[in-house]
This record gives sequence, structure tokens and C-alpha cells, in this order.
Amino acid sequence: MNLSEIWSYEFIRYALISACILGPTCALLGVFVTLRGMAFFSDSLAHSAVTGVALGFLLEEKTGLAIDPMLIVLAFSIGLASLMAWLFHRTTLRPDTVIAFSFTGSVAFGVIIIAWLQKYRLLDGILFGSIYANGPSDILRQAILALVVGGFLLLQMRPLTLSTLNPELAQTRGIRTGWLNYAFAILIAATVVVSLRMLGALLLSALIVIPPAAAKLVSNSFAALLLVSAVIGLVAPFLGVVASCQLDLPTGPTIVLANVGVLILCYAASLFLGNRALHRGGRPQ
Amino acid sequence: MIAPAAKSFPAAIGRKPLLQIQGLGVRYGSHWALRDFDLDVHQGDMVGIIGPNGGGKSTLFKAILGLVPPTAGRVLKPSGALRVGYVPQHLTYDTSFPITVGEFLTVNHPARFFWCGGVGRKQKREITDTLERLHVADLLGQRLGTLSGGQFQRILVASALLQKPELLLLDEPSASVDRRGSDDLSDILEEIHRATSLSVVFVSHDLHFVSHLAKKVCCLNQTCCAAGDPQTVLTEHLLAQTYGATVHPWRSFQPAEPLPR
Repeated sequence: MNLSEIWSYEFIRYALISACILGPTCALLGVFVTLRGMAFFSDSLAHSAVTGVALGFLLEEKTGLAIDPMLIVLAFSIGLASLMAWLFHRTTLRPDTVIAFSFTGSVAFGVIIIAWLQKYRLLDGILFGSIYANGPSDILRQAILALVVGGFLLLQMRPLTLSTLNPELAQTRGIRTGWLNYAFAILIAATVVVSLRMLGALLLSALIVIPPAAAKLVSNSFAALLLVSAVIGLVAPFLGVVASCQLDLPTGPTIVLANVGVLILCYAASLFLGNRALHRGGRPQ
Repeated sequence: MIAPAAKSFPAAIGRKPLLQIQGLGVRYGSHWALRDFDLDVHQGDMVGIIGPNGGGKSTLFKAILGLVPPTAGRVLKPSGALRVGYVPQHLTYDTSFPITVGEFLTVNHPARFFWCGGVGRKQKREITDTLERLHVADLLGQRLGTLSGGQFQRILVASALLQKPELLLLDEPSASVDRRGSDDLSDILEEIHRATSLSVVFVSHDLHFVSHLAKKVCCLNQTCCAAGDPQTVLTEHLLAQTYGATVHPWRSFQPAEPLPR
């Protein structure tokens, strides 16, 4: 199947557009997620979407109200992200401990609801995603998300970068880090929920974590890190969709493997460029 | 008999202070880190604060910066909003963070409109000028994680100066540098202070650095034990009172001799 043939199928076209919108969006947000050590946070929100979906079905079954399930998942994930951000700030518990009990607790709650409703087949779609089920309304939703994330990063780049580097220094420069952390956590939740259909809860983290990780291996400045990360976020999912069509492979895992392939290439390039020595040469402050 | 030491600087008649600290107390749980502390800082002052570990020096800076609320007393800024540049004692960060010195100073720049990591030509000029003033203009493109302790300290000073401060707070500026680095830093700070009449308050354990730079010294051990000019305050008796052990003042406070270059 050549490219023009692939493009002629509407469902593949939507999948490619979706990959081109969500890939760079997740990658750019992922730069800050990885530098802040929040990879586990985004992963936990993806898994907790199970509970959001289950709550949506429960609400529909018990009240008869047909609310867009995406809205329920979005509200649940934003609520959970805010709760975790509040606990990071207000308790002495380590963030990974907070994430572990919030996420396992909410997933357990979701699975119990699913078992009660006897809707086990729901889990398949949430865990593995279905990028070919994207329609124009999904693309619109993803485009809005990309605009919101892009706008936030454009306007908040300085405070976000400085508070990522050192929150206390950011505070002394007049940056309200508490507000910024909440806003960032909510943005991660929204990104995870909107991107769920692309890769599913099990693989979504790859889209957020791998491009910035690969970019970091070959970048010597923050501008380069952002640029390379966005390019990898654009290219790897696109290649993943095309390769899955040509080789008849499941799309989600192929996108992840394309990302892993780029990561390996970046590692090899860093060895060639001697960048790794520089990374190791970083003196602890 | 030794005369009792003053517990605050003599009032400067007719001059409105930039910063006025009155009866400041900060308590963490049941422990008072700082109590009953008074300090007036006027324009052009160069105040050195010395004292033992846990004596409340960093807490004092945090209270001035508004990072900890006072349990007692108050921190007043009589001239209204006071622009403060702060240089922390330690800056813990991920050294693998790929950010250059130029980018670090850019994100530290107080320019209101900051468009995707960039600032205007004027702000870029300010950054290069500040680096030149600190004699580290060649570090602009270097990665932050690869700098030496002394270079990093100067970049932190540069980031504080970019705030166009009226008051510069330096927490242990000479802690991570050797004697020569400390002398160089002290010369640079003195030069900036002379040229701009910037008010500087710094904390240091290095009595040589304090005697070289400070025009006023305050001994702090939870409260101000003694305050005045370096010759009066940095005496064996007052230092012993502050530190609770014998501490030898630096060469009776003759101007410190520069090390051979």
C-alpha cells in the first residue's frame, strides 16, 4: 500500500491527522513532564480514565442521561489531577506515593463499577485505544487541545521553565508556582483524556515521555530540546500509522515502537556526537 | 570592662529606609528560628550578616522575600514595592537539564512579555551587559550544568541583577568558591555597589569576605547579638558571644590584602 493509497481511506486519513496533532502536543508537554519527573503522574491519569468511563456508564444507566462519556472522563481526570496536585503541596508524602495510592485506588473503584455493570468489553477500548475510530469531532477536539496546550506553553514558558528548574528560585522571582502547578496538572489530565483514543491507557505514556527523552540525548540547549522533541512527536506517530498499514500491524504498538526506534537512533547519534560525555560531565550543584 | 554591643544599627537621621524590619520573629513549630529582630536597610548600604548554622540567617531572607510569614513583628518596605534580587545559597537542579546560560538568564528576566523562550533585543543586550559586568560574557552559550562553582555563583548573581533590584540579597555568596574566587566576587560586588549605589545584604560564614565587603555587620543567632561597623562588631569577644565558641576575627580588620595573581 503506497502513501496515496493510504491517504485515500478516510479512517486512515483521520488517524494520520490525529497523529500529527497529538504527537507534537504530547511531546511538547512531555518536555516539562519529564523534566519535572512527572512521567508516572501522566501514566496514572491515563489508567484512571477507566474509572471515568465506568462512572459515565453508571450515570447513564442509573439516570438515563446520555452525557458525552468524554466529558465525564475529562471531569474525573481533572478532579483526580487536582487532588493529587493538592496532596503534593499539602502533605509530606512523596509525590510517587501519592500517585500510587490515588491511581490504584481509583482504578480499583472503576473496575468494581465495570464488574457491577457487567461491561468488561469497555476495558479493551480504554486500555488499547482505537485510533481508526477517530472522526471529525475527535479531530476538532484534538485541535482545540493542541491550541490550548500551545497557547499555555507560549504564554507561560518563562515561569514554567524556571519553576521546573527550581521552584524556590521561581518563587523569589515573583512566580506563583502553586497556581502554575495546578494549571499544569489539569493540562496533563486534559491531554491524556483527549489522546486516549490514539494509543489507549497502556501505551499513552510513550507519546509523552519518549520524544523528550530522545530529544534530550541530542540537545545542548532548551530551544533545541523543544524543537527536536516536537519534530520527533510529529514524525514517529506518522511513521507508526503508515508502517502499521503497510505491514498490517496493530497501530498503537507500532506507533510506540516507532518512538522507541527514534530513541535508539538518538542514542546512537549522541554517541557519535559525543553528547553523552557532555551529559555525564554535568557537575552536580 | 567591655561595653555592651548595640543590637541594631544607629538610625540614619532624615533618610527613609528601603527596608525596615521591626521585631521580626519566625517560628517553625515550637522552635523560634528568629526572634525580636530589627534591621533598617538604606539605599547604598552594604550589610553583612554573620552567625552560626541554624542562627536564622536564611529564615531572615525568606521572611524578607515573603516566602515565610512572620510569626511576630513585620517587614516594611516604606518606599512601596521594593525590587529585590535574590541569590540563593544552593540551587539544586537537574544538571542534565539542557539549558544554556543565556537561556537560564532569559527565563530569569523580568520582562512581562515573554514569547516562547525569547525576549527582545533590548533584554538580550541587558543580559550580555550583565555578564560582561561580572566578567563571564564568554559563558553565554555554555550549558548551565557544566559550570564550575565560581562560574555558577556569578551566573546566579547575574540573574539577580537582571531583576534591576533596589536591594540585593546574597545567601552565602562565597560558600562554593575558593579564596581567589571569593576575592574576585567581593571586588565585583564592590564595583557594582559603587557604580549603582545598590543596597546589598549578604550572609556569610567567611569573616575575611565580610570584613572586605561589609560596611555594616550584624551578628545573628536567633536574634541580633551585635550590630555596627566591622571594626566594632568583628571582635573576639562579640564573635564568641554570637557563635558560643572562640572565633578569631580576620587580621584585626586591616583591609584584606589581595592574593598574588
